[in-house]
Amino acid sequence: MSQAKRRSVLTVNGEQHHVLAPAAATLLDVLRTGLGLTGSKCGCNHGVCGACTVLLDGKLARSCLTLAADVGERRVTTIEGIAGDLDFSAVQRALVESGAIQCGFCTPGFVITLTELFARDPHPGRETIRAALSGNLCRCSGYVKIVEAAEHLAGGVR
Amino acid sequence: MSVDQGVFRPASVDEAVSVLARLPDARLISGGATLVAMINARLIEPAALVSLAGVDELHGITENPDGGWRIGAMTRHRDVAAERRFTGTLALVQQAASLIANATVRNMGTIGGAIAHADPGLDYPPALVAADAQIEIASGKGRRRLPASEFFVDWYATALQSAELVTAVHLRAASDGVGLYHKLARVSGDYATVSVALTMSSGVAGIATRAAMGACGPTPILLEEANALLSGSPGESELNRAGELLAAAADPVDDVRGSAEYRRLLIPRMLARAFTEARAAIGART
Ligand SMILES: Cc1cc2nc3c(=O)[nH]c(=O)nc-3n(C[C@H](O)[C@H](O)[C@H](O)COP(=O)(O)OP(=O)(O)OC[C@H]3O[C@@H](n4cnc5c(N)ncnc54)[C@H](O)[C@@H]3O)c2cc1C
Ligand code: FES
Ligand code: FES
Repeated sequence: MSQAKRRSVLTVNGEQHHVLAPAAATLLDVLRTGLGLTGSKCGCNHGVCGACTVLLDGKLARSCLTLAADVGERRVTTIEGIAGDLDFSAVQRALVESGAIQCGFCTPGFVITLTELFARDPHPGRETIRAALSGNLCRCSGYVKIVEAAEHLAGGVR
Repeated sequence: MSVDQGVFRPASVDEAVSVLARLPDARLISGGATLVAMINARLIEPAALVSLAGVDELHGITENPDGGWRIGAMTRHRDVAAERRFTGTLALVQQAASLIANATVRNMGTIGGAIAHADPGLDYPPALVAADAQIEIASGKGRRRLPASEFFVDWYATALQSAELVTAVHLRAASDGVGLYHKLARVSGDYATVSVALTMSSGVAGIATRAAMGACGPTPILLEEANALLSGSPGESELNRAGELLAAAADPVDDVRGSAEYRRLLIPRMLARAFTEARAAIGART
């Protein structure tokens, strides 16, 4: 099965793409190698690290555990589409301003996860932020600055 | 049903069953959270996939006329975790779902996929055994139901036969009382090192308790003898004895989450903590 290529249409960051990929290809594979959208990272390829996190119809998903064939009509949002027409989204600016980035490998996943959180809850408290980020691993920062960035965006420590 | 180069999309349970019967090497895909990880790691290479996403009857939680509940196999952990109608003794099912992994994995994983996979470290198996849930299974011959305690049979093995699938989990109506799920994990979101699921209600004959331990053997551990000790008006010696019995019945492994010896030490302690908390909660209500 994995050898046979199949055609599908994916809506990524508002644009339709026709892709030809093996039936067992993950969304992450298709984004990175098929569409050249390399912002979503492959850290572990089994759901643990969160570096590949994207939004499907606004909901968080691991693109490494999602088959491209299973995306269907759901709209995919990746880090490349997160700021829309702006240079940076509010979440991205908050991370930059707090110095919450070191090597940056985990950052796309954190940005997506925080974007989903702030869309649901514009003023999350520290515990809500920590719980929301618990599925994203960062090997460099120790998390403190990332949580601080989110707290600043939420309007200070509550 | 649409078929697209190795991916079948049945619209009904009957269609799904007939594909499985025809193609024994096809694999069901629900949330994909485990299946796709296994494909990525080249542990499996399924001949075809059967996606259950388009089978309407498998989605969602419905109340039965008797006050019990039917949780469709495709119901995401997120939806069970958000279910506020699971009150009293059933609260443990909602709690178990809310402690699975993290928000992103809870958006993807399903109750049917989890229990069919039957990893002993999962949160649902002990919760469903303690809640005395029934697993609804479909095959070419129709539907059958099994108590959760008979569904989980060994390490990663269930009572499912070939060309069968899980269609739902049935919960009996909640009793007034307490349902608790406690999970000890190295960090938030990890699989359990040991977990305990417990229901307790009180009646004229004292309390009635049902406890199941997770992640300490191939299947959840529930002992009628331990439940009897924990029911009526148990004191400290009954609680200790029940903990000893459960620890003796456990068959834990040594792994990165803890040694077998450590897990055996945790069993009576986790049991005692859950029991004491449940008893205090019941006491506060009577
Ligand atoms: C990073 C990570 C962390 C996790 N942490 C936890 C945790 O802390 N606690 C926990 O409990 N779980 C945890 N899980 C497991 C997860 O929650 C899912 O329960 C699990 O992945 C299976 O659900 P699924 O719907 O994704 O199944 P799938 O991956 O789609 O399928 C799993 C298996 O079941 C079969 N199958 C699927 N549906 C059915 C059906 N209806 N009938 C029969 N067979 C079927 C498939 O063929 C496959 O073999 C974690 C998973 C990941 C990736
Ligand atoms: S690459 Fe998907 S979670 Fe790590
Ligand atoms: S900044 Fe390097 S992994 Fe997070």
